[in-house]
Amino acid sequence: MDTRRGIAGVDRPALTDLPVLKPVDRRAGAHDPLMVTRWLAGLPAWLPLLLIGGALVWSTVAFAQSDYGYDDATRALWRWVPFLFVSGFLFNILISVLSMSIGTVAGAALGLAQISPNSGIRWLAWTATQMFRNSPWLVILFIVLLAFPFEIVIGDLIISIPDWMKAVFGLSLPIMANISEIVRGAVNSVPTAQWEAAESLSFNRRQILWQIILPQCYKRMLPPWMNWYAILTMATPLCSLLGVEELITLSRQAMEGENNHPELLVPFYTFALVLFFLYCYPIARFTMFLERRYAVKL
Amino acid sequence: MKKIVCLVAGLAAGLMVTVGAHAQQCTNDVWNKVMSRGKVVVGVKADYKPWGYRDSSGAIVGMEIDMAQDVADTLGVELEVVAVQSSNRMQFLEQGKIDLMIATMSDRADRREIVGIVGPNYYTSGTNIMSPKALGLTAWEDLRDKPVCGKQGAFYNQIVEERYGAQIVAFTGNAEAKQALRDKKCIAWVYDDSSIVSDLSSGEYDEFEMPLASEDDNPWGLAVPKAEENCVFGRFMSGMQYSWHRSGRLIELEAKWGIQPTEYLKTQAERHGDWLAN
Repeated sequence: MDTRRGIAGVDRPALTDLPVLKPVDRRAGAHDPLMVTRWLAGLPAWLPLLLIGGALVWSTVAFAQSDYGYDDATRALWRWVPFLFVSGFLFNILISVLSMSIGTVAGAALGLAQISPNSGIRWLAWTATQMFRNSPWLVILFIVLLAFPFEIVIGDLIISIPDWMKAVFGLSLPIMANISEIVRGAVNSVPTAQWEAAESLSFNRRQILWQIILPQCYKRMLPPWMNWYAILTMATPLCSLLGVEELITLSRQAMEGENNHPELLVPFYTFALVLFFLYCYPIARFTMFLERRYAVKL
Repeated sequence: MKKIVCLVAGLAAGLMVTVGAHAQQCTNDVWNKVMSRGKVVVGVKADYKPWGYRDSSGAIVGMEIDMAQDVADTLGVELEVVAVQSSNRMQFLEQGKIDLMIATMSDRADRREIVGIVGPNYYTSGTNIMSPKALGLTAWEDLRDKPVCGKQGAFYNQIVEERYGAQIVAFTGNAEAKQALRDKKCIAWVYDDSSIVSDLSSGEYDEFEMPLASEDDNPWGLAVPKAEENCVFGRFMSGMQYSWHRSGRLIELEAKWGIQPTEYLKTQAERHGDWLAN
């Protein structure tokens, strides 16, 4: 079967006469939760190479308008590359990995609470999900940063909470809410007949959920989960607005160290763009590959 | 059981501290913490060359870091520098994240209410603008209703806006502000006069000038936590600044970091000079 060219029943005609889902018409503007990733993955594979090549070629074209030209600025960038990559970009990755871990665990719990038989728990989980899903990330970050103490004192024990840890927590909240929706949606996407069938075999609710329903959900949840990871990674520079010393904050400080020549702006921010692109692009391609692989073939 | 005893002892200690503070006595908490820990944590700038900035290895260096090193050496403790920003430096000191702040802060009345700024001030700078020679600005009044670029967090942004009716466009960094000036998005860039002089003398801004007389000459202040202002730490930092002026150490550092020599440091050195030295 050809799995490389789109998804049967979605991008091309169904393989069966009895499709159970209506095909999604993306051109008609149907909702696509993977929109960002699909766009990113849709970029041709030679684009990253072109981007790097372009940056290199551009840097050698010295169109100096004053004593300090773009060639000087690019040389300045090369001096800073090791520091910006190790202390800056790897820190962004660390923030994204930690936020994603916390957000995934909390989001899975919240998502399961959204399908709880208890209507009170369901309502609470729904409210929390909607609240964090529909708030601007920056606002959540500011609230977490300002409302949380910088250290916790328990007797003689002082646990200090650095800003970046607060940022990790702040970013994990919207991720939690979105993962919650993914979990709820994935569980609801399994036909109810399976619940009924399992119940008739005298499985209890917990057994049905853990042994029958959820194992089928993992495959469906993986592409949107990776989609959110890519979005989260691209959102980590938000932390620079809170003074967390990640790539963008350090790039600014590096430009200050190089006397704030305006010529530095393009090379330094291009460097940041290339780093994020090189990290997120393979994730997007892989997500699309998994989506095709795991899609229900109609 | 042991835990409970610890908890009770902790609570009692906490109570005693509260009573002490109420009686307006010096508890010297921060000073004692620095001495017992053997390390002083100083908040400095990492985005204000040459006062505090990063070298390409990532280490923070600059004139204020040298001053902080002097403080640590005199105390006989280790130095740890923490990068602060204009927007969070006073909060860091209030929260106890840093013990001392030497971060290019202008000594203002409203800031003295929050942190313990002790004299004599170690430096001063005024406000001025860099603008294209072609515009031929001659007075601050020329800025009225015109866009003027600045850096976020500078106290004089508001003054220039209120006094002369300029429309401040504030950027997060000076590189962005200078690019905007070149792109003619604003008619001038408002900043510290000493910094503008060093930019103009670099020869890369030949078509620009600093046409006005500096205003709001404002001394800079280092700060200790408010509770330490009139106690050991505050008095000690007054002594440090006094001896920096007296020994000419600040003039020496100014030269080391390539800062334009200022009249202020010269007069301070004379004023605090040793009368027996000559």
